[in-house]
Amino acid sequence: MGPYDSAISAGSSSGSSSSSTSKPHEIDGLLAGAGYKVRSSDLRQVAQRLERLETVMVNSPSDVSQLASDTVHYNPSDMASWVDSLLSELNNPHALPLPSDLPDFPDLIASPVLNQTTMQNDDAWADPNIIPPHQLKVVTAMEEDSGIKLVHMLLTCAESIQRGELALAGSLIENMQALLTRVNTVCGIGKVAGYFIDALNRRVFAPRGFANNSTYGSAYENEVLYHHFYEASPYLKFAHFTANQAILEAFDGHDCVHVIDFNLMHGLQWPPLIQALALRPGGPPLLRLTGIGPPSPDGHDSLREIGLRLAELAQSVNVRFAFRGVAASRLEDVKPWMLEVSPKEAVAVNSIMQLHRLLGANNTRNLPIEMVLGWIRNLNPKIMTVVEQEADHNQVGFLDRFTEALYYYSTMFDSLEACALQPSKALAEIYIQREICNVVCCEGSARVERHEPLAKWRSRLVQAGFRPLHLGSNAFKQASMLLTLFSSEGYCVEENEGCLTLGWHSRPLIAASAWQAAADVSNPLGIVNHNNGQVL
Amino acid sequence: MAGSNEVNLNESRMVVPLNTWVLISNFKLAYNLLRRPDGTFNRHLAEFLDRKVPPNANSIDGVFSFDVIIDRETSLLSRIYRPANAEDPQTKYVDLEKPVTSEVVPVIIFFHGGSFAHSSANSAIYDTLCRRLVGICKAVVVSVNYRRAPENPYPSAYDDGWTALQWVNSRSWLQSKRDSRVHIYLAGDSSGGNIVHNVALRAARTDIEILGNILLNPMFGGQERTESEKRLDGRYFVTLQDRDWYWRAFLPEGEDRDHPACNPFGPRGESLEGIKFPKSLVVVAGLDLIQDWQLAYAKGLDKAGQKVKPLYLENATIGFYLLPNNDHFYTVMNEISDFVSSDCA
Repeated sequence: MGPYDSAISAGSSSGSSSSSTSKPHEIDGLLAGAGYKVRSSDLRQVAQRLERLETVMVNSPSDVSQLASDTVHYNPSDMASWVDSLLSELNNPHALPLPSDLPDFPDLIASPVLNQTTMQNDDAWADPNIIPPHQLKVVTAMEEDSGIKLVHMLLTCAESIQRGELALAGSLIENMQALLTRVNTVCGIGKVAGYFIDALNRRVFAPRGFANNSTYGSAYENEVLYHHFYEASPYLKFAHFTANQAILEAFDGHDCVHVIDFNLMHGLQWPPLIQALALRPGGPPLLRLTGIGPPSPDGHDSLREIGLRLAELAQSVNVRFAFRGVAASRLEDVKPWMLEVSPKEAVAVNSIMQLHRLLGANNTRNLPIEMVLGWIRNLNPKIMTVVEQEADHNQVGFLDRFTEALYYYSTMFDSLEACALQPSKALAEIYIQREICNVVCCEGSARVERHEPLAKWRSRLVQAGFRPLHLGSNAFKQASMLLTLFSSEGYCVEENEGCLTLGWHSRPLIAASAWQAAADVSNPLGIVNHNNGQVL
Repeated sequence: MAGSNEVNLNESRMVVPLNTWVLISNFKLAYNLLRRPDGTFNRHLAEFLDRKVPPNANSIDGVFSFDVIIDRETSLLSRIYRPANAEDPQTKYVDLEKPVTSEVVPVIIFFHGGSFAHSSANSAIYDTLCRRLVGICKAVVVSVNYRRAPENPYPSAYDDGWTALQWVNSRSWLQSKRDSRVHIYLAGDSSGGNIVHNVALRAARTDIEILGNILLNPMFGGQERTESEKRLDGRYFVTLQDRDWYWRAFLPEGEDRDHPACNPFGPRGESLEGIKFPKSLVVVAGLDLIQDWQLAYAKGLDKAGQKVKPLYLENATIGFYLLPNNDHFYTVMNEISDFVSSDCA
């Protein structure tokens, strides 16, 4: 190694600096720094395959365009398998039927429209000129300074709370509230700081016991806010879209399918899937949907109402459909027998921002997450789609959590700034504010917003006996195109080793992944007795 | 030509380490899939395939990074890399834009390569390279995420470079203690090298001072087919056909490669005599098919009375500076370090 040791290993995940000195089964450290995972022992083989591909492509250019436009690519970090997949595409063109794609993004609640256009054509990149320009915001130098000061004070306040110095925290909060008057709170750092100051205020000054109460209102209120968050930003749409694409592909070839939605809300996710299944070559399957949601007060059965609406839609497009609502205040109260899964059906478990609520207080054993992941695995679903906030809001230390939340929600608010849709934007902000409050003010079982980043979910799910199903370039492309419907250029979709993330200006904010039960050594056929959830 | 393909592949295999060959060939394969004969570009697939890394405010090997939006209207992002404070490696949010503390701090504005169409400031290969530059030059590096062709042809990339230059020049926290000015260098590889030249050219007419230009395998060309182009076409990862494609994608409709953006010392180039132009370090790889244009560039600077140091690396290919597994890499890093530090004495 040379004089640049410290500079060399920057960014790479392994200590070795060249393929000749690393052990064969190790990943080549230099290629890892470039974002590729290739075992040193595989380098020669990958090189040979690259050569072969090159020769084939030079000799028949038509294959190139086929590989470019029709092939679905997966997980480019795994270079060996990417190259292999291209080779097998060339050797066996269209051996696999092309995966169906979701129809164009339809107007969901108002009227179910059967939209025939698919998104498989390679349109030229969306014309950026149709995106309206940002309104220029003039930020004075003094405001910039006050903004930085506010952030500094917020972090100092959080640190004093962590140390138990509540009197100091209290006076800092008062100072910050005064400073807020000198800062523009309509947008930017002033707005975000305002929410965090409020949250700290609650935590420090709230009457005893308040911190353990939920920061959320009624289920109805939550649904309304959720709906506006859905309208004002692309995060939930991305979640639904990406999960649906994966579910659609997983259901290919199955005549009886069953989707289990861990949080039905208004069922916004399902009309496009129903429509896509209706358009499936070979005809739609029998679709069952089980929607889990909180019990409705006052004798109302909101789950059933949503189910009825979806049933109407399904009927209008000739998809045989059955709905079942499972009312539960907490996901861990749901037992697999309630879902009545039949051994003949292909099951998709769909969790949009629900798993983190099962992470419980402290890293004790027998967390609800383990129990729930256990029974999901025993169902042996064809696919489990998981979407989670891409943030580390479950750290033990309060200051760490607070700092991360400040970064994360600042970015999210920033992304919302360009939204012109009212009142959705204002209500979406309240939705986010409640999340902030929960992360900052609550502890114990009241703190449900225990977001963890993709890397942690990956290892958690693998440990629980799942293996990843990679999301491909077709899903990526559709997600990217979905973003062009939004008036802001800062959103970006990224591929992350088989998962997709949506973020704002290079900071991922939400991550989507798909999973399947890994083959069990003790249960190679994955035979499950559904009646009591035990594995035979 | 069919039979010679096998010879071609063997040739490039012999001059670079295996992992470098795999990396560059992988790029070549991917890029072939992205360029369409009609001049359009498969941007979705490009973004899907590009390996990106997030910034990291925690110091890794003495360097931390963060992203800033330099211009909201064009969504112009830059990634800033700084040396970590030795006493307090844990960077706090408020410290990201803390004023630099040394007498002289070089600030390198970096333009990544990719032939104007590929890569981003947050591409893994460029994140790694920028981190190295911080360590080697004890500099702050500002990597500009300029707009790319064919969606944003000439002069978008240059405009973004100019915006970034003005932004860097006006940051009080980047001013060196010695003279309360920002000590600016421009650096870039491939298309980034071309951007360096053109941004420096624009700056020459203003009072913004650039202390030096660093051009790694800069992307230049012309209508004429030079000897190196004919000799090396297709032999070391790059073909004339792909070079032509990228110029067509970048240059304005109807223009040819003698446009001054492509051929600054060609028939339509403007004279650099007597203008305030930074000293230049021009690194030329001996197995790069456009070396004749790069050497002509260095010569053109020299003839115009500008300070230039051409550095010719005989059996280097494109991308040799991406992995620290060859002598050329170390040679160039030393040269860059000297080039920048010679002003700090």
